[in-house]
Amino acid sequence: MTAAIFYILSAAALLATLMAITRKNPVHAVIYLVHAFFALALIFFILGAPLVAAWEVIIYAGAIMVLFLFIIMMLELTPGEAARGPGWQRWAPVILLSGSIVVCTLLLMTAEPQAGPGGPNFYASPRDFGYGLFKEYALAVEIVSFQLLFAAVGAFYVGRGERTRRRARGDER
Amino acid sequence: MLDSYLPIIVLIVIALAFAVGTIVMSHLIGHRKPSAVKLAPYECGMPLVGSARERLSIKFYIIAMLFIVFDIEAVFLYPWAVVFKRLGMFGFAEMGVFIFILLVGYVYVWKKGALEWE
Amino acid sequence: MPEWLVTTILILVKLGFVFFLLLTGAAYMVLAERKLLGRMQLRYGPNRVGPFGLLQPLADAVKLVTKEDFIPSQADKFLFFIAPGIAAVTALLTFAVVPFGPPIRLFGREVPLVICDLNIGVLYFLGLSSLAVYGVTLGGWASNSKYALLGSIRALSQLISYELSMGLAIVPVVLMARSFSLTNIVNAQAGLPFAILNPPAFLIFLVSVLAESKRIPFDLPEAENEIVAGFHTEYSGMRFGLFFVGEYINVIILSSMVTVLFLGGWHGPLLPGIVWFFLKVGFISFLFIWTRGTLPRLRYDQLMHFGWKILVPLALVNVIVTGAILLLLNPAKG
Repeated sequence: MTAAIFYILSAAALLATLMAITRKNPVHAVIYLVHAFFALALIFFILGAPLVAAWEVIIYAGAIMVLFLFIIMMLELTPGEAARGPGWQRWAPVILLSGSIVVCTLLLMTAEPQAGPGGPNFYASPRDFGYGLFKEYALAVEIVSFQLLFAAVGAFYVGRGERTRRRARGDER
Repeated sequence: MLDSYLPIIVLIVIALAFAVGTIVMSHLIGHRKPSAVKLAPYECGMPLVGSARERLSIKFYIIAMLFIVFDIEAVFLYPWAVVFKRLGMFGFAEMGVFIFILLVGYVYVWKKGALEWE
Repeated sequence: MPEWLVTTILILVKLGFVFFLLLTGAAYMVLAERKLLGRMQLRYGPNRVGPFGLLQPLADAVKLVTKEDFIPSQADKFLFFIAPGIAAVTALLTFAVVPFGPPIRLFGREVPLVICDLNIGVLYFLGLSSLAVYGVTLGGWASNSKYALLGSIRALSQLISYELSMGLAIVPVVLMARSFSLTNIVNAQAGLPFAILNPPAFLIFLVSVLAESKRIPFDLPEAENEIVAGFHTEYSGMRFGLFFVGEYINVIILSSMVTVLFLGGWHGPLLPGIVWFFLKVGFISFLFIWTRGTLPRLRYDQLMHFGWKILVPLALVNVIVTGAILLLLNPAKG
């Protein structure tokens, strides 16, 4: 049962990613990517890591995709020629994907826990996960903070405006 | 353990049904008399000027990027907060260093003017 | 009765109750807001439909449903269609983890008054509030109208900025309650509510929540005298209605989150728990209306400065200070 859900979700994730890289309209591509992240979050959940599943939604779907939307709007990408054809043909994939993800969630939640082989052989509760992360991998956590520091500074340098650039050179009075 | 999630699923289904239902109902009941002018984007009744797909300020990109950085930091804070007591002094020092490093970056971009809106 | 039947009935009854409550709550919140704003501006507010205007929400609903609902010719039809749905559904789903009363006894068994007590309830709330951004953004983008686009861009960066301080203000609560489950968080406040134990976190959360609700003084995404109606300029009929209902449900949800996280949820003397809970939610909702009647709109640079230069650093420092105080009060062993 769990194994079947796993394969359906993997297929949904792959299909969504495939749709994302073949769309002409960048915003539609972002929507498909969000679907892919949802499927991935559920896969993490199946594998017994609810916290990682929540992170997947909060960070990838909630933050990084928002950045993508901003960048699309910033680059003034005009959507390509709208796909011709009856409405249902254009809507079918996204409805199919959302549908399969919702159905999988349903099956997953109503399924008996640990139903046969293929079920999670461990379960990382948020508490244990946090303890392991901060106790065993303290150094990695600090390295992450350095990476975030670089990301912040890098983003600023990539995106600084003309005025800040002048101010940095010191020729603004 | 898992079947405690069942109510949420039912709620998802009901909420979706509510949203779809109202839209469909409005579609069926509301009368429709479309015309070219009515379906044009609203611009205070004046003829349209240019396209709505404008480029926007790079400022928004920096804000979104900084948001990701601090959101990831926040996401590290939650599991830390739950096991705070078990980790004790070690955990506190660890997170202190973590936040301090990020605060250095925060102060840097602030002083460089990344947070200014002109 | 068989065990599963009782469980199913209980779930359905709870869901029905919550659904009815949220929708009528949102409808009457609109009426209450119009009445109170009227009084604050020395006028009566709606008073024609039914006694004291009590049937006004019904009249509004009928009007919205029968309105012509059209899709602008240049719009991205599919996204335009689903965006209001996203806004309403994310708002409705959040209430699933809010405990609205102490457990009661029914059919000889303990029934917790919460739809689902997730062990990651706080993260569920944050995840949904980060997804709520999509309804507004996609709606504005799909309209293919300048005002809508401006509104959605404003909304996007306002929501993410204040989501940050909101999330950071919850960390001290998790520190003190040592749990993500909202029921446990309420139980941890049986003595003193966290608003008294940690007032800075409470204030940061309250302000961020006001900004998350996109209402005055933070209503730049729909500032009517600058950008017409912002992200929902092109919406009409029930699709607009969904945005509207979503916004008011959101106010109720955010008020409940303030109540649960900081005001001790259902805890209170004399009155039964569930009454206390709704009294507190009502008070915070009143606060939302009150600020709308009192404060002018912020400028965009003020909004961003306030979020990024005051709330975020304050929230970060508050996390560290709270941690330090907790360590001092009860040093961990080992």
